[in-house]
Amino acid sequence: MGMLKRFLSERPLRLPHIRPYVPRPSDPSIFWFNSERDDIVSDVVSRICQAHESDQSRLEMALNDAAFHEIRRLEKQRDDEARDRLGYWRSMIRRIGKMDASEQRRVLHTIVTNMARDVAGNFDPRVYRFARHAIPRMIGGVMEPRRLTQDLMASSPEAVGRVLRVQGDLDHLRYLQSQGSLVFVPTHSSNLDSIVLAQALEISGLPPVVYGAGKNLFTNPIISFFMHNLGAYRIDRRIRVSLYKDVLKLYSQVMIERGYHSLFFPGGTRSRSGMIERHLKLGLLGSAVEAFTTNQVRRIDRPVYFVPTTINYALVLEAETLIRDWLTEEGQARYIIEDDEFSRIDRWVAFFRKVVGMRGACIIRFGEPIDPFGNAVDGGGQSMTPTGRVIDPGGYVEHRGKPVVDEGRDAAYTRELGEVLATRYERDTVLMSTQVVAHVLFRDLVQSTPGMDLFSRLRLRGEIGIEREALCQELGEARDRLCALEARGRMHTSEVVKEDSPSEMLERALSFWNGYHDSTAASLEGNRVVLGDPSLLLYYQNRLVPYAEEIASGDRVQAACEIQKLGAHR
Amino acid sequence: MSLRVGVVGAGGFGRALALASARNGQDVVLWSREKRELSDGIRPSTDITSMRDRELIFVAVPARHAVPMAEQLGEVVDGRHLMVHISRGLIGGELQTLTKVIRERTVCRRIGALAGPLVADALAEGRPSGAILGTGFSELTEMVRDAIGGSDLRIYDTKDVIGVELASATVGFLTVILGYAQELGAEPGTLAVVATRGMVEISRVGRTLGAEESTFMGLAGLGDLIAAVAGDERPELRLGRALARGNNLQTAIGEVGAYVEGFEVAKHLLEHARRHDLETPISSTFVAVSEGRMTPNDAIQALMERRVGTE
Repeated sequence: MGMLKRFLSERPLRLPHIRPYVPRPSDPSIFWFNSERDDIVSDVVSRICQAHESDQSRLEMALNDAAFHEIRRLEKQRDDEARDRLGYWRSMIRRIGKMDASEQRRVLHTIVTNMARDVAGNFDPRVYRFARHAIPRMIGGVMEPRRLTQDLMASSPEAVGRVLRVQGDLDHLRYLQSQGSLVFVPTHSSNLDSIVLAQALEISGLPPVVYGAGKNLFTNPIISFFMHNLGAYRIDRRIRVSLYKDVLKLYSQVMIERGYHSLFFPGGTRSRSGMIERHLKLGLLGSAVEAFTTNQVRRIDRPVYFVPTTINYALVLEAETLIRDWLTEEGQARYIIEDDEFSRIDRWVAFFRKVVGMRGACIIRFGEPIDPFGNAVDGGGQSMTPTGRVIDPGGYVEHRGKPVVDEGRDAAYTRELGEVLATRYERDTVLMSTQVVAHVLFRDLVQSTPGMDLFSRLRLRGEIGIEREALCQELGEARDRLCALEARGRMHTSEVVKEDSPSEMLERALSFWNGYHDSTAASLEGNRVVLGDPSLLLYYQNRLVPYAEEIASGDRVQAACEIQKLGAHR
Repeated sequence: MSLRVGVVGAGGFGRALALASARNGQDVVLWSREKRELSDGIRPSTDITSMRDRELIFVAVPARHAVPMAEQLGEVVDGRHLMVHISRGLIGGELQTLTKVIRERTVCRRIGALAGPLVADALAEGRPSGAILGTGFSELTEMVRDAIGGSDLRIYDTKDVIGVELASATVGFLTVILGYAQELGAEPGTLAVVATRGMVEISRVGRTLGAEESTFMGLAGLGDLIAAVAGDERPELRLGRALARGNNLQTAIGEVGAYVEGFEVAKHLLEHARRHDLETPISSTFVAVSEGRMTPNDAIQALMERRVGTE
């Protein structure tokens, strides 16, 4: 069984081809992927090999680095892969010094080719067509079994529509996809994000995208089958080899250069704290900037449009594991959680059952698209100044009148782009009812325990109670202030936050949490709301950290300032 | 091929930048509000569109004029331009740096801040000196070195742009304090303690704004402060001395006859420090004295009675 699982995760299943599919002109760019895949892999391999060819010491360093890190990884893994590959790397590290330049180049070519093939995905239009019709219905079925038959027959499954809302200027994005490469860069809260986002693209009439998925997601053969056949490329985060990072970056770059619409999560990993990401990983962002530069140098006029996107959940599938991970020092270094709620089907069912009927439990907001230099893009896809003057983005990569590749310059542009995205995330975040309620409750906890540190506060389970009426009044004030901030363009609030009475908002939040999470965030006892597990409240309220001070008044300002300081750990 | 250099602002520093560029054989246009007579090799202009064909633009206007200036430039520049400012100020209570102002109001991205002990006279006359350029773009550093650098001007660079801007802006304020202490007869040892500990507390504030402490101890911070105290007669020194003679702030500013940006910056920095629970004893005490909330003797006593810690 273990062997079979490994076989499937190493080589995901593909359906046999009786007749090769010939894409139609109206098909999205990804439909051409299979016919170009070998060319893309060899492009990636040749560029990396060329970069090492002229510099012997760099080449030797790369081989040593690869062997050293792979031996270290495989020695720790002690699994079937280790048994197969450890011997190769151990023998190689002994031979590197004795190899002549041509042999070293040959070895490099083999290593990089294997890596690039392992990364590259597949795209099967049959799987795509099946997935776009079946997945929403299956999700709907899990949510409401009695509606499954009805939804399977219907042309648009209602359950998904009720749960998932999409916001943003979709017409603009639909036009831009025909003009250049779209790069969706969303916030990251849950492993459900890529599935939910794919669904949001589908219902918005936007094209499917290629994206990198952690290899840990490929361990489930069914998920692996879909991901592999829908264009996802595999990222094995256990591999620390710098050549592997080069392969990943270059693969992403070549895909964008060739006009494939892409998706990556600049936060790198799910936000453990629940806060809006502030410090972004720049590797893949940089690949998109460099894709633009490379095309400019080659005189290929293919714009790259970044679409800052926020994925906002009222209930997060893995909330408990994520916040626990954040709160332990170990959590800061643990990149891959293997045993969270995402890997448990019972949690999926409980999650989907909970969110059904809760209108707008997930809101995806596509922000205004920007060019690689952070400029707004007009309706025709042209970059603009803040006052609306059209400019040529190609000018940014010119040096004394000529477009040139300059890695240092593009790295600086990428850093700036990361800052712009972080600002956009704050502006495009949609605050959900659970987050607002959690914030007010957590602020009360902080206010009623002056001088206490965070961890002592998190131990206060069931000890703090607040009069329901007073809490509702506080909720109403916080909501009014949030709406005022929204009017100034600082962020957004969900329809529920805007329309519900404070009392309804409170009940909705309690109903979301209780019965899904193992621990109770808060509960109603008579006319008092008693705080249960403060770490859950912390997780949900963390989304409001940037706005805490501005929505507090009177003697709550001090507590809000303390909460806002949590943002320093973002 | 000579570099097409533009200078915005015809104050002392603006003219010095234009002269240094022309001396290096660059093609220079200097923009000012009013038409001016300039040396050979520098073309004057009162039309901001004259900056459109420039490759490198120096912005040499005081911080208080930076916003409208950036808005004007925003109408003519694009992604091709590289831009450097030399202002020592910050904007408003949010402590906005000028690179941020330029970034928000223009589409220029290759931006830098030039700071350090370089003064206008030395630059104009080509006397030996040094400066620091804060920028994330190495091509900008190369271009600035080509434009004004040479055997008499060493231009170092750092990626810590905000550190350079904050250090440069706060040196002015520390210079006021040192002028004050000099007038009261403080000895060199006392001045050294005020200078170094003052820089440490300012760098502590800077760190919370994203700057690196080491930048404050380099050319943009201590280097500039040494130059200020070593006698280049900056207006900030004169302001400190005037305050020490018992003048209130307004009268002292009137006596100096120059706009001193550092004082306003300090007030905003202290407000920021208060919100972040940071200790700024020297700066806070001096602001209290200058506003008449404390006598000089009480101030010295309060500072000397503080607990001494590890450096």
